[in-house]
Amino acid sequence: MISQAMSLPRQRDGIGALILLVAVPAGLALMLTVFDLIHILPTHLWWQALTAPDTSDPVQLLYRHAFLPRVAVGVLAGAALGLAGVVMQHVLRNPLAEPTTIGTNAGASLALAAATLYAPWLLEGGREGVALAGGALATSAVFALARGRSFSPVSIIIAGLVVSLTFGSAGALLMALNREYTEELFIWQSGSLVQNGDAAVVVLAPWLLAGICAAFLLWRPLRLLDLSDDGAASLGTRPAVIRLAGMAVAVSLSALVVAEIGVIGFVALAAPALARLAGARTLGRRLVWSPLVGGALLWLTDRLVQHLPFAGEIPAGTATALLGAPLLLFLLPRMRTTPERQADMVSSIRLPTNGLPLIAGLLALILAVVLAIGFGRGVGGWHWIASADLTELLALRAPRVVVALSAGVLLAVAGTLMQRMTGNPMAAPEVLGISGGASFGVLALLLLSDGFDRAAMLGAALAGALLALTIVVLAGRRNALSPERLLLAGVAVATVASAFAALLLASGDPRMDFLLTWLSGSTYRATPTDAFTAATVAVTVLALAPLTARWLDILPLGETAARGLGLRLGRVRATLLALTALATATATLVIGPLSFVGLMAPHLARMLGFRRAVPQLLASAMTGGLILVAADWAGRTLIFPWQVPAGLIAAFVGGPYFMALMWKDRQ
Amino acid sequence: MAALTRRQCLAGLAATGLALPGGTARAAPARVVCLEWTSAEMVVSLGLSPLAVGDIRGYDDWVQGPALPQATIDLGSRSEPNLELLRELRPDLIVGAYGYGLDENSFTRLAPTFNVPFYSGKAPPYAQAQQVTLQLGDMLGRRTEAENLVGRIEASIAQARARLERAVQKPVCVVSLFDDRHVRVYGAGSLLQDVLDRLGLVNAWTGATNEWGFSTVGIEELVAVGEPQLISLDPIPPHVRIRIARSSLWANLPCVRNGQVRTIPPVWPFGGLTAAARFAEFVAAA
Repeated sequence: MISQAMSLPRQRDGIGALILLVAVPAGLALMLTVFDLIHILPTHLWWQALTAPDTSDPVQLLYRHAFLPRVAVGVLAGAALGLAGVVMQHVLRNPLAEPTTIGTNAGASLALAAATLYAPWLLEGGREGVALAGGALATSAVFALARGRSFSPVSIIIAGLVVSLTFGSAGALLMALNREYTEELFIWQSGSLVQNGDAAVVVLAPWLLAGICAAFLLWRPLRLLDLSDDGAASLGTRPAVIRLAGMAVAVSLSALVVAEIGVIGFVALAAPALARLAGARTLGRRLVWSPLVGGALLWLTDRLVQHLPFAGEIPAGTATALLGAPLLLFLLPRMRTTPERQADMVSSIRLPTNGLPLIAGLLALILAVVLAIGFGRGVGGWHWIASADLTELLALRAPRVVVALSAGVLLAVAGTLMQRMTGNPMAAPEVLGISGGASFGVLALLLLSDGFDRAAMLGAALAGALLALTIVVLAGRRNALSPERLLLAGVAVATVASAFAALLLASGDPRMDFLLTWLSGSTYRATPTDAFTAATVAVTVLALAPLTARWLDILPLGETAARGLGLRLGRVRATLLALTALATATATLVIGPLSFVGLMAPHLARMLGFRRAVPQLLASAMTGGLILVAADWAGRTLIFPWQVPAGLIAAFVGGPYFMALMWKDRQ
Repeated sequence: MAALTRRQCLAGLAATGLALPGGTARAAPARVVCLEWTSAEMVVSLGLSPLAVGDIRGYDDWVQGPALPQATIDLGSRSEPNLELLRELRPDLIVGAYGYGLDENSFTRLAPTFNVPFYSGKAPPYAQAQQVTLQLGDMLGRRTEAENLVGRIEASIAQARARLERAVQKPVCVVSLFDDRHVRVYGAGSLLQDVLDRLGLVNAWTGATNEWGFSTVGIEELVAVGEPQLISLDPIPPHVRIRIARSSLWANLPCVRNGQVRTIPPVWPFGGLTAAARFAEFVAAA
């Protein structure tokens, strides 16, 4: 630490920018804080009320037990997240690593949700232990999955995404089945900095201190991770042990923040990114500056929220996401990312791709549809549909099955298009924020009107999807849609949408029951019109997509090859993106933004040996349809008369399946 | 088995309904299904046993009174009442409530549907509850029961008021505790506010509320209410109770430190007349 401090003045380049980066937000936050304080308490009482408050005076009570702890917790949590982010990003050699993207938050959240519902006694002593266990479990799962690929950034993020989706869907499931019991979790999920005394400060401060000490003890060994693993080993260190230690520090800090105040989006991602942009090139510098940036950012955000009109009700976690995402998008073009070799995520055993497997797939799909419509549960138990009930039950089941099938096909096609277009194995409408954009549109509509007009919702979803797509493409444009940038932009958009949803859910508005089921991918509200719309769009997209086959076969070869072969990249991309937006917006409207199919189906198709564009498109569409039809059927029958949204089941079952494939494939 | 006895029981109830003076010749719906808790509370309060109710476990925890008959069938969650089960039950009437974002068409296809117009924010909830109870009474062929219920509730609230008037009453502040940093506080536009008005009690929370008459605020905002009698609605999760007791802010709040906090049994804040009477009774019971 001392050598670091001494080396700082010598590295003059960029220090000014770094100081500005911290001083401007911190200065603003300080001004706002002092301004607020003057209104609360006369200045001459400040010191006395801090050290020996007269708690019978409501003003001093507010000052000492609500205002000051809130400021302190904001700064501490921001710093802890900044530190956690920089360590994670370094250990994983991945600028996208942060507690949200690598599963820590989802694990901590699920553990807390489960404990709140089934073992509240675990929480009596505090939430820390439970959050830590959940966060560590989820992160370890991500690690185990990414290990075989020597922690390549893409595999870490994809494993993180899979684990987050799985844990997140399990958490959403618990909350959907226990609607009235989870008010606490909704509030907490939105990341509120409201304090009720010193408790959180007392927990956070020593842990942050310990984290800082540990991080600096690890500074030297961590630097060696910049070398290849062999190189580091030859210097007498064990990269695996260093990684483990680094991650232990980062995960503890983030799980602790989750436990104390909830999910605070973006700080852990933005603080190190900003520090790096402002010139903190070495690990040592980033370790020093990221926590400072994080603390200043969260402090300022929290103060701003108190002062902006209409913002009084916005929890800090939502605000950081809402403010941080545009910032990240703005900074993206300025960001230097190291080009990453795009490895095939999941290699495949080559199978002869004749028509036979496709026909088998089609038969399986037809069988699933027949089963989904014909076999169900009632008062008397399981039974096949009786001819007397045929018309009535068909009216109830057919729209749901058609919607599930169409949405599965649409998402799978959208995912395949995006993966081939970007040459990025993790591209999917869910990942690139397209679903997030569509749901953002619907949420905004819900906020501004009180109806549930389907046509308006479709319009809003489409507008949102196009907006997200435009933002993502514009942000990624400088580098010709480089996969990493697309991904970052997509993460930004998706985070804003989910923060917005968390805000609406925390409002306690009874209408949000609808939102909750929609967000978790339920077909319950599917109308015949929905089914018709979705099916029409699915057929159209399925008919149009093979026309782009030549592009799709060429694009993964890389840009130069594509140009050489005479593709007009701009037009090709615009066409493909429009197709993707249409497919995603329709699917999102009928089944909600949460599902996994767009990511999973193309991979499964590829693993089954369908590698050329058209076979992959068809196989992926079948797989996607099959997954959602099966999930919808299971959701309607397994815990009858209660129902589980199809999107949740798809993620909850598909996630582990995907993980198993990654695990088997890790060599 | 259960279905048979229930059916017989309902037939019997329907018969008495018809035998009463003022009963119409038209057969009153006997197979009534309630999609959520407010409508269930109203139907049961009229002396009818609903065939099925959405989320029975939740009703038992959050609404409690009047108790649902043992044989009531669970319809699944309130946000997604099971349509296939509904169809199979062949109800004469489906009673739901506005504001849950359910598509009414899916229900009208199965049976006549009546929606309790609760969360419209147009009329005071208590007056609306009275009106809806009477409407429901007409619809179920139980006009007399409905009139009796309205009168009985008025009387029991008046009785509670008389009990309260024996001593000087402080203003009150009604909250639900969901976690240890936030409270949901009930104010203008809520059923509980209407009951407080009828009891002659002053609600110390005069701050803004949403369409449903409550507001979710940080605990520190309770400083603003001064020193009223704090009334907190059960159920409070045990860990929240423990953690909140340790909070230095909570312990020092004027309304916590001086007045004692009173916890009363569950009252469904978005309920009907029975919820109103339960609340009045619990408040006066001290």
